[in-house]
Amino acid sequence: MTPLLEVDGLNVWFDLPGGGELHAVRGIDFELDAGERFGLVGESGCGKTTAILTMMGLLPPNASVAGEVRLGGENILARGEESVSPHRWNDIAMVFQGAMNAFNPVQTVGSQIEEPMRLHGIAEGKNARRQVEELFERVGIPSDRASRYPHEFSGGMRQRAAIAMALACEPKILLADEPTTALDVMVQAQILELLSSLATDFDLALILVTHDLPIVAHVCDRAAVMYAGVIAESGTIDDLFHAPRHPYTRLLFAATPDLHAGGDRVVSIPGAPPRLDQPIVGCPFEPRCDRAFEPCPTVTPALKRVGDRHVAACHLNDIVREATA
Amino acid sequence: MRGLDYVGKRLLFAALTVVVAITLNFVLFRTLSGDAVSALRCRQCTAQFKEYQRQELGLDNSKWEQYRIYLVDLAHGNLGKSLRSEAPVTGELWPPLKNTVPMVALGTFFSIVFGVLVGVISAWRRGTWADRTGLWTGLSFYSMPPQWLGLLVVLFVAGAVGLPTSGIKDPTLGILGDASTWAVFVDRMRHMTLPALTLGLVLYGEYALIVRSAMLETLGEDYVLTARAKGLSNWATVWRHGLRNALLPIVTLVALSLGFIIGGSITIEYVFSYPGIGLAVVEAIDQRDYPVLQGAFLLLTLAVIVANLVADLLYFKLDPRVST
Amino acid sequence: MSAATQGAAAEGVSAAATARPRAIRAAILSSPQALAGLAIVGAFVAVALLSPLLLDGNPRAKVGPIFEHPGSGHLLGTDGGGADMVKLLIAGTRVSLLVGFAAALVSAFIGGTVGLLAGFFGGKIDIALMRMTDYVLVIPDIPLMIVVAALFGRSLTNIILIIGVIYWTTTARLIRAQVKSVRERVYVKRAGALGAGNTRLITKHVLPQVAPLLIANTVLLVAYAIFAETFITFLGLGDPSIISWGRLIQNAFTDDAILNDAWWAIVPPGVCVTLVVLGSTMFGQSLEDALNPRLRSGHLSVRRFRMRPLGGQLDSE
Repeated sequence: MTPLLEVDGLNVWFDLPGGGELHAVRGIDFELDAGERFGLVGESGCGKTTAILTMMGLLPPNASVAGEVRLGGENILARGEESVSPHRWNDIAMVFQGAMNAFNPVQTVGSQIEEPMRLHGIAEGKNARRQVEELFERVGIPSDRASRYPHEFSGGMRQRAAIAMALACEPKILLADEPTTALDVMVQAQILELLSSLATDFDLALILVTHDLPIVAHVCDRAAVMYAGVIAESGTIDDLFHAPRHPYTRLLFAATPDLHAGGDRVVSIPGAPPRLDQPIVGCPFEPRCDRAFEPCPTVTPALKRVGDRHVAACHLNDIVREATA
Repeated sequence: MRGLDYVGKRLLFAALTVVVAITLNFVLFRTLSGDAVSALRCRQCTAQFKEYQRQELGLDNSKWEQYRIYLVDLAHGNLGKSLRSEAPVTGELWPPLKNTVPMVALGTFFSIVFGVLVGVISAWRRGTWADRTGLWTGLSFYSMPPQWLGLLVVLFVAGAVGLPTSGIKDPTLGILGDASTWAVFVDRMRHMTLPALTLGLVLYGEYALIVRSAMLETLGEDYVLTARAKGLSNWATVWRHGLRNALLPIVTLVALSLGFIIGGSITIEYVFSYPGIGLAVVEAIDQRDYPVLQGAFLLLTLAVIVANLVADLLYFKLDPRVST
Repeated sequence: MSAATQGAAAEGVSAAATARPRAIRAAILSSPQALAGLAIVGAFVAVALLSPLLLDGNPRAKVGPIFEHPGSGHLLGTDGGGADMVKLLIAGTRVSLLVGFAAALVSAFIGGTVGLLAGFFGGKIDIALMRMTDYVLVIPDIPLMIVVAALFGRSLTNIILIIGVIYWTTTARLIRAQVKSVRERVYVKRAGALGAGNTRLITKHVLPQVAPLLIANTVLLVAYAIFAETFITFLGLGDPSIISWGRLIQNAFTDDAILNDAWWAIVPPGVCVTLVVLGSTMFGQSLEDALNPRLRSGHLSVRRFRMRPLGGQLDSE
């Protein structure tokens, strides 16, 4: 069965004002099956947000892209904006980081959800209004709130409304970028529950982008760990938590002892990620790695299979393999 | 009803500002400027006549008494009498006002239309030559003194398009028999065009810059990205999410520019000898006709206060977040 | 061009301004627009400063026939009184810039003080001062200037004072916003907690943060002041004993330069005013762009992101 979404060799560069480029996404590959929940994890600046924005072609003019994003086999990035825009919202939709500001303050929330319905020919007028009310009920907002303005909603409710809006055109894939940041701990749990049940009920594939590991554990089946624009490791949640094959993954997940507690964990690994406006030689994580050895500073590790649907980019795995060969 | 609070507060503020304006008017003209009568150029005036005038004008009363009389007069719509013509000031100001309003309206209308158009396109096509053209034409006109621009228009444009550069009436119209209403209308319009054009150019500069700036700000907002993500075309996004939201700061700034419109039209009417309220102000200054000057200033100030109030209420209507 | 609108737009700058001198200097140096603006204004300032050397005798002296065409004798011809236009322009530069800077300083001083007090002390003082500012703001600036000039006579000092007193409001608002945001910063609070007196807080901590913005604003004020002076002078309310660009425009008008087709008497003084205003606006605008980075990235543009060929990909836009 072909995966629903395949990302193949995706690279994104941003032109810098003084000349030069920022290589934000440096060749990433992963797959997403229909109905699967996939986490994309990493520190801020690792390129995870840029990666998912690229899937919808929501990049500024100073960006350039290489690689493929295949939706049901078809490369939607083939002709840039032209080929990706028809898929917006009706195939792939997004809940943005800081959904607080995703709504236009001078229009009612309901009208902003009806807007894409009308645009994509899903529903109009009374029909659309009814569907909005149903969506609201499904996400847990009283349906009479549709005629209210965004500033009249609390943070948690606005997030729910943003989720409702994302589902307006019945997409196949939902991208959620840090959906619980800036929310109350209690509300965070509710939103995660909501995303989970929605994914099940609507048969959605979900990509959850976050730096917060417990929530990935809570919601996702598989995840990829990104570092400095590349994927360091990718596998099932179980693999990543209990059998990590990349030092970064291990350190990241080791910093969160209790998987079931909520709230933000501030991940603190000493050092800082490398600059993305310069070429990176060798393994990008090497300067901060506690297990770096001879090949690491000079040879870039490739993403290799280390188990069933489990890949990692680390030279250490070669040693292990050799040892077990 | 939402925001009765807000409307009430704005009305109160407007009322208070009116009081301040009226008082300022009084203070400026009666108290600080010395005796209006002694400023009269009146060589043959005897001391007795001057004394009589003083009593006539109520200048022999105490300042507080004068203030009280002034307020009472105002309440009756009495702005005093022109020193030059002895006619009531209101009568002197009314015809010029009727001339100025259409001219200013014409100029402002065109400057808003072009300003918004250029501003929106500039912001939308940011960084392209369209943006640069808009930006530089805006900046240039914004920096030009209106009277100088008027002189340039007279010098370079008037001859080319064959439009009159002074007055509001063609003196030869109607001499050889009654002129038709249409002919009169056309004549008025022809005389109004160049002053309106000048005013329009100056204002266009300001508005183009304001709109561009407001649009750039708006287009950087998150909800614009959301709109694009939802599949809206560039055009629909600019119109429905960009411009609609940028209207808020635009309305405020346009209202704030009314003071400048008035100032600009004073100098422009002077250049074109256009018999509007601006020219009346200049003539009053020249002839030291203080009552007329005082009346005109009061009217202009009140106009600005009202415009600001309208802008406040409009803002209230446009922005659902406003409630205090 | 009205001061009120510039002020309102500039207010957006204040909160975001980090106001570190090095950052500002870097911002200026990296922006061609800012440099160009600075260069233009600088050129005029240089002419003004050098004017005693460039002029000999009375610039208004009749040195040729009236409204003589520009030619080898007189680069920009003569005015309605037969005086050399170039000399008049140089003399005018000096006076106009003088009026501009002096009035701007008055405005900056009043506005800066009001803003500082309102922002620093907050509370009742703030409310009272801002209320007062609101009322002053509503009175239309140019008519007020004209009226006051008409009433109070025509000396240069008066004109400078009048302009200065009218334009302080936007500075006050700008500085107040900036002072408020600076005040919230940790080190100011800490210094206060350590017992530093108000004066010390203001001079050592607040002022350095506020100064760059004040300077940028003063540059803009110079432009408004020069602009305003042309208004006053044009209506015959200027100081008759001095030559300014405004006076030159007025002279051209009253001497019927148009009838004589003497464009050289009309165009140059206006060009000077326009250039100075343009230059200082460019400078101020670039500074604003540099201090408020959000203006740089729009989510919407006609230009699209580009696709790069990677092993036989189709290229796009």
